[in-house]
Amino acid sequence: MIDSVCSLCVSSLVISVEGLPRPTIIIPEQHILIEGDDEDNPYVAKVIRLFGDGDGEQMKAVVQWFVRVSEVPLSKLKLLGREPHPQEIFHYQGRICDDEVNVESILRPVQVTVACVHPKVLGHKMCTNITTDVKSIKFKNYFSFAVCLIRNLLDNQQDLNSDGEDEDEFVPSQKELNGCSEEDEDDGEEEAGLDSEEEILVKKGRGTTAVFRTPRSKQKTHSLTRTPRKNPNKKIMPGTPRTPHQATPSIPCRSLPTRQPANILEEARARLHVSSVPESLPCREQEFQDIYSFVESKIIDGTGGCMYISGVPGTGKTATVHEVMRCLQHAADVDEIPTFHFIEINGMKMTDPHQAYVQILQNLTGQKATPDHAAALLDKRFNNPAPRKQTTVLLVDELDLLWTRKQNVMYNLFDWPTQRHARLVVLTIANTMDLPERIMINRVASRLGLTRMSFQPYSFKQLQQIIMSRLNKVKAFEEDALQLVSRKVAALSGDARRCLDICRRATEICEHSTTNPSATGLVGMSHVMEALNEMFSSAYITAIKCASMQEQLFLRAVIAEFRRLGLEEATFQQVFVQHQALCRLEGLQPISVSEGLAVCQRLGACRLLLLEPSRLGVLQRVRLNVSQDDVLYALKAD
Amino acid sequence: MSKRKVKDVHRPIGECITQVQQILRERFCHQQLPDRPEGLEAQYKHLLELLRRSAIQGESNSVLIVGPRGAGKTMLLQCVLRDLLQEKEAQKNLLQVHLNGLLQTDDRIALKEITRQLNLENVVGDKVFGSFAENLAFLLEALKKGDRSSSRPVLFVLDEFDLFAHHKNQTLLYNLFDVSQSAQTPVAVVGVTCRLDVLELLEKRVKSRFSHRQIHLLSSFGFSEYLQTVRTQLSLPDDFTDRGFAQDWNSSIQTLCEDKSVEEALQRHFNSSKDFRSLHMLLMLCLSRVSVSKPSIKPADLLDASRLCLCDAKANMLHGLSILELCLIIAMKHLNDVYEGEPFNLQMVHNEFKKFLQRKSNSMYNFEQPVVMKAFEHLQQLELIRPVDGSSAKTQREFQLMRLMLDHSQIMEALQKYPQCPTDVKQWAMSAFG
Repeated sequence: MIDSVCSLCVSSLVISVEGLPRPTIIIPEQHILIEGDDEDNPYVAKVIRLFGDGDGEQMKAVVQWFVRVSEVPLSKLKLLGREPHPQEIFHYQGRICDDEVNVESILRPVQVTVACVHPKVLGHKMCTNITTDVKSIKFKNYFSFAVCLIRNLLDNQQDLNSDGEDEDEFVPSQKELNGCSEEDEDDGEEEAGLDSEEEILVKKGRGTTAVFRTPRSKQKTHSLTRTPRKNPNKKIMPGTPRTPHQATPSIPCRSLPTRQPANILEEARARLHVSSVPESLPCREQEFQDIYSFVESKIIDGTGGCMYISGVPGTGKTATVHEVMRCLQHAADVDEIPTFHFIEINGMKMTDPHQAYVQILQNLTGQKATPDHAAALLDKRFNNPAPRKQTTVLLVDELDLLWTRKQNVMYNLFDWPTQRHARLVVLTIANTMDLPERIMINRVASRLGLTRMSFQPYSFKQLQQIIMSRLNKVKAFEEDALQLVSRKVAALSGDARRCLDICRRATEICEHSTTNPSATGLVGMSHVMEALNEMFSSAYITAIKCASMQEQLFLRAVIAEFRRLGLEEATFQQVFVQHQALCRLEGLQPISVSEGLAVCQRLGACRLLLLEPSRLGVLQRVRLNVSQDDVLYALKAD
Repeated sequence: MSKRKVKDVHRPIGECITQVQQILRERFCHQQLPDRPEGLEAQYKHLLELLRRSAIQGESNSVLIVGPRGAGKTMLLQCVLRDLLQEKEAQKNLLQVHLNGLLQTDDRIALKEITRQLNLENVVGDKVFGSFAENLAFLLEALKKGDRSSSRPVLFVLDEFDLFAHHKNQTLLYNLFDVSQSAQTPVAVVGVTCRLDVLELLEKRVKSRFSHRQIHLLSSFGFSEYLQTVRTQLSLPDDFTDRGFAQDWNSSIQTLCEDKSVEEALQRHFNSSKDFRSLHMLLMLCLSRVSVSKPSIKPADLLDASRLCLCDAKANMLHGLSILELCLIIAMKHLNDVYEGEPFNLQMVHNEFKKFLQRKSNSMYNFEQPVVMKAFEHLQQLELIRPVDGSSAKTQREFQLMRLMLDHSQIMEALQKYPQCPTDVKQWAMSAFG
């Protein structure tokens, strides 16, 4: 395949192109197509230099990359200020990019024609920096756009600087107006050639002639829309209806607008809702800084890495990571750091661990695939060198849910960042600190590495600060009341969500306690106490107090029988004997066995008692689900 | 009974009775909602406020309604929804999704049901398309797209909430609560359950996302309130067509409730359970005795109905047994006495029965072994006895160990009422030793 001199610098090489009889010669300054992620959309580049790799076994090429329209991030595309042609390519000047490729990955040469773009179309600003050969525009020192059009070469054309002949005809805006490339008279011949080439490519790739949704065939379907379609769209096959891909899931819109908070308590309540995003996250500055610098350094270096974040629920793990991402995204927008791709998956939000692949792939490329296929595609993407890769930051929430018996999902997630070309940063979140040691086999835990961070439960001062910062000078709480809530929650769990919920409930209680709705006072200690009681007190004692007479008697019978047996378990039959005796003692008419069973079942449904299945009848065993002291206390208070 | 007054519209008595039956049956069987939930005013206000804020201000909330069976949890929720939907602002905005843990037994079915009830884009007719994973992604995407001010709030009612906690990973609950705690489509998640320990069922991440609001329906009403409820439940409304009949009916209900024996029977019911469903059952039995010839409820009707409600099911089954089967039961009872509840087999029971026969000169109960075996099997089919767990089917049927599923009091009670029970059998049952 490679025919060249074994020197360090090579002047040309010969490759064979599929679908062409003759071998093709590649020489520097020629434009080529290079194998990439997307089979139908290979990368475009210009050969700068060809050289052999030391021992001469490996041929390499130094290239200048071009980006297709579809590869340019949307935010950058906006800067162009006009609608680009689908075939248009742009000169690429990214900082972080391997510009060495193996010659095996070269598919075939391609002709690039440079269209002379009317200054009006490009916009004034861009025209200032047009360089010599390729008309490129340097833009914010990140991308430089060169307005070109790709043309496939069927025969080995030597003419490289082909920007002469049809410059004027290739004004993209004109193309846009025509809408259909095949109707364009000037290059009809060449376009037809393109189409035949396209067909070869399609046949080679999939072996079917189905309509593919590739950018290039988009151009074809574009023209097809005017002529009647030969075959109906494959996606709407009768018999196997699927979720329509174009479906835009959404909840219908309100017909009436939401009402704005009317008084200070409602205002406070809205601010205290967990969902309301605060301007900053107080009390997590250190963690924020650590995560930020970790991810930032990885993005700038273009390397990959893993981080494990642990902490009990409600300590702000996910919120902090989101905050970091918001800041980094902002930094990327103002070009302080290279752009990156942020993907988030959540173990709880998928039906099966292997769905993780599907979701990652869909977030990365928008493709839909089965889990196995998605895993293969991702593997290829992360393991193979590819030009112009941005760093991907992947947040895996609720990591423990991705556990499988062979742990292959976790293994892959942590293995990809270690690959040289992956540029993947994985942030994982779970609750337990020792998750890697507990559930991961060695080779998985080792790949996860030791970059760990644990979020401590909030202390009462921090909780207080969180509430204060959320309220943001809305004066709705007394100082003492806030302190009580935060101390109570800090003592129990340190869960910020709990804290906010209690405060919200307290504002409601406060609102209802005052008779005059317009003049609402501050939330005081009593309101907070009531809210705390509501949320933390167990209902068992009240439930026993409110139970019917026979139910209370039955509970007493259960305790009496337990005392007699010296065990914490008895059959219904044994308890029932005690129950009958108690009934006589209380001067009540003894109840029948059916009735007794019904009483027992009702207590079981409330889970005051734990019961065996009811088909065992009188033989079923009974246990208390409350402590005996609680039962006695509740019954004595009557 | 019905004195017809001239000033009012008179209806034939048959028509009145039909109407009475219809009105009261609707109350007892169709769970017709009362105008105000009695004794639950605080809970009613709390829930109404909460749901109103969700509907009108787009605030996300989650709440659990906890209370014993028949305490009026669903009634409370329905009353709140009825009153909430009378407000135009709420009615136009609120979307409702009703799920039941007994129907949606796993998340796959629950998701399909949610998608169907919300009428999202992947619903064609009554069918929901897409795999489980696609459905979940689709639904989450849909909920994520919305925001507080622009999208319609969704009310999720999860009946038998505790059963949802048994779904794999609690995926549905996690996602619902997660949406309720994030700035997405406003949702209100209302769980209805009778388990007091329901929070302990939730996984820690799910629990943290739940707002911990619980509305307990633990009413400590006394007997006088109970009696009052009986009266109002049986009384006819003021807008009854024949006012004269209604007055007569209501006064007869008044006298019924003042009757000593009726009060005693109701007290007994009240002692055993405060559940309104069982009360409705009792009143329904009374109501079905009302006819044209007897256009009111008499105390005797209520006592009869009460007896019917309280009677022992197993003891009643004993009345239908043959003498041989009854003798076997008695033999088992003696065996239980002797061996203190240890399991027995057919051979032991038959021996015990034979001992009884030997003491008698006449051999009218002399049955062949196969006949005894058949009787034994019949008892097993009636589930009056059941094989001991773990005894394999390999053992011969005569030697399979069994346990008696009856209490001694039930046997003695049944013997008293058994039609034409031979005296010697009765005596044998009473005697302390077989």
